[in-house]
Amino acid sequence: MHKNSYVIIFAAAVTITCSILLASAATLLRERQQENIALDKQKNILTSAGLIESGAEDVTRKDILDLYDKNIRSQVIDTTGHVLEDKKVEDVDPKKDKHLLPVYYYQKDGTVLSYIIPISGKGLWSTIYGYIALEPDLNTVRGITFYQHGETPGLGGEIVKEWFTSNFIGKRILSPDGRLVSISVVKGKVAEKIPESEAYHYVDGISGSTLTGNGLTNFIKKDLVRYDPYFKKLRNKETE
Amino acid sequence: MQETGTAPSTAQVVQPKEKLFSKKNKRTLSDPLSDNNPITLQVLGICSALAVTVQFNTALVMSLAVISVLSLSNVTISLLRNMIPSKIRIIVELAVVATLVVLVDQILKAYLYDISKRLSVFVGLIITNCIILGRAEAFALQNKPWPSFLDGLGNGMGYAAILLIVATGREILGSGSFFGIQLIPESFYAAGYENMGLMVLSPGAFILLGLIVWGQRMISKKFEEN
Repeated sequence: MHKNSYVIIFAAAVTITCSILLASAATLLRERQQENIALDKQKNILTSAGLIESGAEDVTRKDILDLYDKNIRSQVIDTTGHVLEDKKVEDVDPKKDKHLLPVYYYQKDGTVLSYIIPISGKGLWSTIYGYIALEPDLNTVRGITFYQHGETPGLGGEIVKEWFTSNFIGKRILSPDGRLVSISVVKGKVAEKIPESEAYHYVDGISGSTLTGNGLTNFIKKDLVRYDPYFKKLRNKETE
Repeated sequence: MQETGTAPSTAQVVQPKEKLFSKKNKRTLSDPLSDNNPITLQVLGICSALAVTVQFNTALVMSLAVISVLSLSNVTISLLRNMIPSKIRIIVELAVVATLVVLVDQILKAYLYDISKRLSVFVGLIITNCIILGRAEAFALQNKPWPSFLDGLGNGMGYAAILLIVATGREILGSGSFFGIQLIPESFYAAGYENMGLMVLSPGAFILLGLIVWGQRMISKKFEEN
């Protein structure tokens, strides 16, 4: 039998070795990991705008950077709807600058084909991050993606799958009289639960992940409300 | 192979040492591939076998991750086997395994980000994969590093073999493709062929796994006694 002091020293040695190993690995690999995360965000912005097929796997690093460079512009606005020309999207820290909001534009030849905004909020277990892209009418959904979450694989985790996200395409965030209604995930099927006249505000839920769905409903609305002052301005400009 | 190159020189040492690929060592490596397969006979590690086998490439990366973690953890624990106090041996084993798993996860995140996203929590869950702790307890604690390495490699490959067979079946039947390449031509779909949706879901893996276990026990004639 080993002495207690030996056990303690051994345990300490193991712990220290393991921590040193992990800490150095994390430091060495951090740069590349962060590059991947940034690239993944760009990929998701492109996917939500429909420039990359949802679920596509054969897109290379270069494709993403090229597509992004060519088609996507960005701006920072604030919650009152003013554009802040002197700020860049990269400088905004969502945790600190709560009143600053990034907007991405999918542009071709000077016309905006889609407005893309980041969305995030609590699901069941984790914070979910994603992007929602709106058509130039700022009403119809062009696409939606979720790129970071810790929901249950196979249940809430299905939100990233194409069969779920494609439900959002063509749905509308405004009621016919122009009120912001947002889009809700229903428990069950839209066709069975919601009258057809309002179906365009709802998408099918995932069975077994009602709480993840409720989370989506809440934070999509929350984020759309934050961008609403800016979108209202844009809509008014168009009608003038 | 480098190992075979060193084998004759160790044999010439005056004290007859065990050869690197002695009969016993070969069995250590090959047994878990069939007769003592961790999944089909010991029925360990089923959870991840169901989760990551929808596509071949995720199953392949998962297999490589398990093989490397398993063989390295076996070697490490075998090297430490005379130093580990028995009172805290499970914790020490877990610490070694967890460190290796986190390392693999970090490397995947840096170099295979897409696949690491699709494997999601399952790389992290290798820590709780019963095969790994099971081999550490049952083999590495009693054996020298080299046989332990072979045992880890063998068990890892036994796990990988089943994973890849299941993944091949699921991807071909469920998505009509293999390694992401479409196998079933469009004309088949036009003629009314449909992918088996069941294969994409977990029950599909259960069914395939069951068939494999059945087939293997038919051949090996090893049955549970009632």
